[in-house]
Amino acid sequence: MKHVYVLAVAALSAYAADLPTPIAIRDARVVTVSGAEIPKGAVLLRGGLIQDVGPNVSIPAGAWVIDGTGLTVYPGFIDALSTWGIPGAAEPAGGGRPAGAPGPAPVTPSPQTPPAQAQAPRSHGPEDRPQTYSFERAADLVSPTDRRLEAARAAGFTTAATFPNRGIFEGLGAMVNLAGERSRDMVIAEPIGQQIVFRTGGFFSGFPNSLMGNIAYVRQLYLDLDHYKQAHQIYDAHVSGTRRPEYDHDLEGLARSPRVLLPAMEAQQIDRILSFGPELKTPFIVYGLHEAYRRIDELKRANVPVLVSLKWPEKPKDQDPADVPNYRELEMWDRAPGVPGLLAKAQVKFGFYSDRVDTAPDLKKALKKAVDGGLSRADAIRALTLSVAEMYGLSDRLGSIDKGKIANLVVMKGDAFDDKTTVEYVFIDGVQFKPSKETQKGPEKKEGATTGPQKPERGIN
Amino acid sequence: MWPGIFRLIVAACLLPMGLFGAAENSVLITNVTIHPVTAPEIQNGSVLVIDGKIAELGTSIAAREGARTVDGRGLHLYPGLINAATNVGLSEISSLRDTVDLDEIGPFNPELRAQIAYNPSSEHIAVTRASGITAVISLPGSGASGFGLASQGPGTIITGQGALMHLEGWTWEEAAVKPSAVVDMMFPQIQTVPRQIASFLGTEPRGYTELEKEYKQRLEQLSDFVERARRYEKAKAAGGPEFRADAKLEAMIPVIDGKTPLFVRAGKERAIKDAVAFADKQKVKIIIADPREIGSTGPLLKSHNIPVVLGKTFQLPLRDDDPYDAPYTLPNDFFKAGVKICFGTFDVEFARNVPFEAAQAAAFGLPRDEALKGLTINSAQILGVGDQLGSIERGKVADLILTDGDPLEAKTNIKQMFIAGREVSLESRHTREWEKWEKR
Repeated sequence: MKHVYVLAVAALSAYAADLPTPIAIRDARVVTVSGAEIPKGAVLLRGGLIQDVGPNVSIPAGAWVIDGTGLTVYPGFIDALSTWGIPGAAEPAGGGRPAGAPGPAPVTPSPQTPPAQAQAPRSHGPEDRPQTYSFERAADLVSPTDRRLEAARAAGFTTAATFPNRGIFEGLGAMVNLAGERSRDMVIAEPIGQQIVFRTGGFFSGFPNSLMGNIAYVRQLYLDLDHYKQAHQIYDAHVSGTRRPEYDHDLEGLARSPRVLLPAMEAQQIDRILSFGPELKTPFIVYGLHEAYRRIDELKRANVPVLVSLKWPEKPKDQDPADVPNYRELEMWDRAPGVPGLLAKAQVKFGFYSDRVDTAPDLKKALKKAVDGGLSRADAIRALTLSVAEMYGLSDRLGSIDKGKIANLVVMKGDAFDDKTTVEYVFIDGVQFKPSKETQKGPEKKEGATTGPQKPERGIN
Repeated sequence: MWPGIFRLIVAACLLPMGLFGAAENSVLITNVTIHPVTAPEIQNGSVLVIDGKIAELGTSIAAREGARTVDGRGLHLYPGLINAATNVGLSEISSLRDTVDLDEIGPFNPELRAQIAYNPSSEHIAVTRASGITAVISLPGSGASGFGLASQGPGTIITGQGALMHLEGWTWEEAAVKPSAVVDMMFPQIQTVPRQIASFLGTEPRGYTELEKEYKQRLEQLSDFVERARRYEKAKAAGGPEFRADAKLEAMIPVIDGKTPLFVRAGKERAIKDAVAFADKQKVKIIIADPREIGSTGPLLKSHNIPVVLGKTFQLPLRDDDPYDAPYTLPNDFFKAGVKICFGTFDVEFARNVPFEAAQAAAFGLPRDEALKGLTINSAQILGVGDQLGSIERGKVADLILTDGDPLEAKTNIKQMFIAGREVSLESRHTREWEKWEKR
């Protein structure tokens, strides 16, 4: 533990020392995403921002100049729905564990979290507000010490839309940079959305214990929100002489959120969410999408942004050889990585999310699978950068290499999505990180470490 | 009111017959189409039953003193049907624990006897009779070869002795045809719990490596138990003060002597193959019960002369991508492979449906005669009573049904039923309900 601490301090002091110098990367191929690619140009970073970019950039004296010959500069990748940076979220949440049973370590409660909410008693209905953490803010929870951040950076990710990790209403997400001296340095914007996961607390933990209960509950809470907003509007207009409406912790969480993220992995789930989403009267993003190859037209018509999970479905490990996968499973294993390509072709706005793919090689492999599945490299880069920034309304500061944007860059030797490509530098807020070769290769696979059965999927659908 | 009085009058008329010589288990059934099952059908024939046994059958049988005559003009006579796998008499209402006497805990319970747990007053007995069933195997373990109580986790392997019971009798002693017809067994299996179910149960699905290890341990446990029984038999023969009686091992002696078959529930190909290998190694007789697929086991079962008790045909296919009719065609697959088959339902409340389970197989390729055999003579032979039940032959027990058609057809009515020559009522909870609501 002590060693980790020492290392962390060492890393942070290096980080602090870097700040004042302007950094120039010159003679590099620059993929701006927002505009045309610059075959040979320079990017100048100063004060944590992109000060200039183009084929001819005047480089100030005293700048640290990086010779970019043979290198490609991309905007830093954004994980569009993440738990990176949330302490205790590294372990996947069990789908149906009884309340109070040992499970994933709970997210550290924020100061505002009443302890009573952390151990909810058995709930009997929506009035008990089961599994509701809508008020929890990723911005209050996020920490630069999450060990997954280094791996994420090594795969080219500089930024993540990160969300708290428990309950049906998971809480308020924040767009965070994946490095920083202190937690507060990481946050770019918040709240950026409310994530919803359909899940039961296990058989005996009470309502909701079914998918229909989940949906009914989400619907009810948004109905409550509607009423709550109206009551407050009326009150604000006529404070004197109007009885004050109650303050509702849970609804405040919903009210603050500019959008809601809804899960839909399979075709039927997509149908359900496309019809349910509009009921909430809040802009929504659909996440999951592995079977979206059956619903491309519907998604296009709905004109809703979507996030594709990078945890591609695959043959479960350690499966009984007598248990033959069914045709639909086989098709999903085969066709899911083709979904991004189909979405791009249909011009559906989409991004990627890591979905517990946490090591650099796995992330790279997962992204490459999408490219091999028919997604053009340019579209892939866009889905990892500007599209996500646009979805969250942050394209004024993130997602492309443009003057004035946050200096989040990833510099690769070779083209992204090529096997031999290595990440040479990562800049976050203008600070350089050089991912170690070890991190890029991923942790040593221990004997038997990966032979265990797959953990249950998060949530129900 | 009237029907009640009518019944009294009928009873009063019948009474003197009992008093004056007509034994109630002797009867001459005339003018029927006889379907002996083991022989070609006889048009316009008669069957004479004396003291519960079939004495004669043919076209011209004279009335006999002491045997009343039943005119079966226009009707058909079949041997009573057998359901080769049920829990009839051992469970009344499955959700009321007090009425259920099944599924003892512990890996090996061969000493448990279903026949003494059999409740001769069970409502299910009359209900089951309604579709022409005169005898059933009552098993001490519930469920079929898949998800059942007996199949859960490190559950029971040997559940006890299954009894062949007549669906008639004042007491279980009277009803028993063969008290220990089979020793009921759930073959160990590798049950990978689907992820969704695991999630529902709040557990994590376990990997194959671990489950396979456990499976092999359980197979070893089973072999050890059989070998212990063998040593026990020797020790018993040798006698001496060191010998101690053990009910469990004692109950295994007929099994290791090859007299009583093990009734092995084995659903998947692997379980069937491993069960056959086990039987080979331990030199015990087995019946494969409720296979859900045939795989490559056909030739294996045929060469080992191992019969099969099929479970319900009306169920979903084993795998998602199997053809919808896989369970319907499965009986024919075994038949074509040369395996002797019969039918069971592995339950209580639907035990009466066994003719229709077989009929579904007949509709999907199984020859009609074979479907009928699978409810009669094959069942009797597989259960070791081929010389007593299962066909209309001289000397056999007179389990007979008088019908207005093929008993495999749902629209056929069972008009009269004789068990061991004694006419039994076809009234049941269902007919009583029907009569009641007719009056509304």
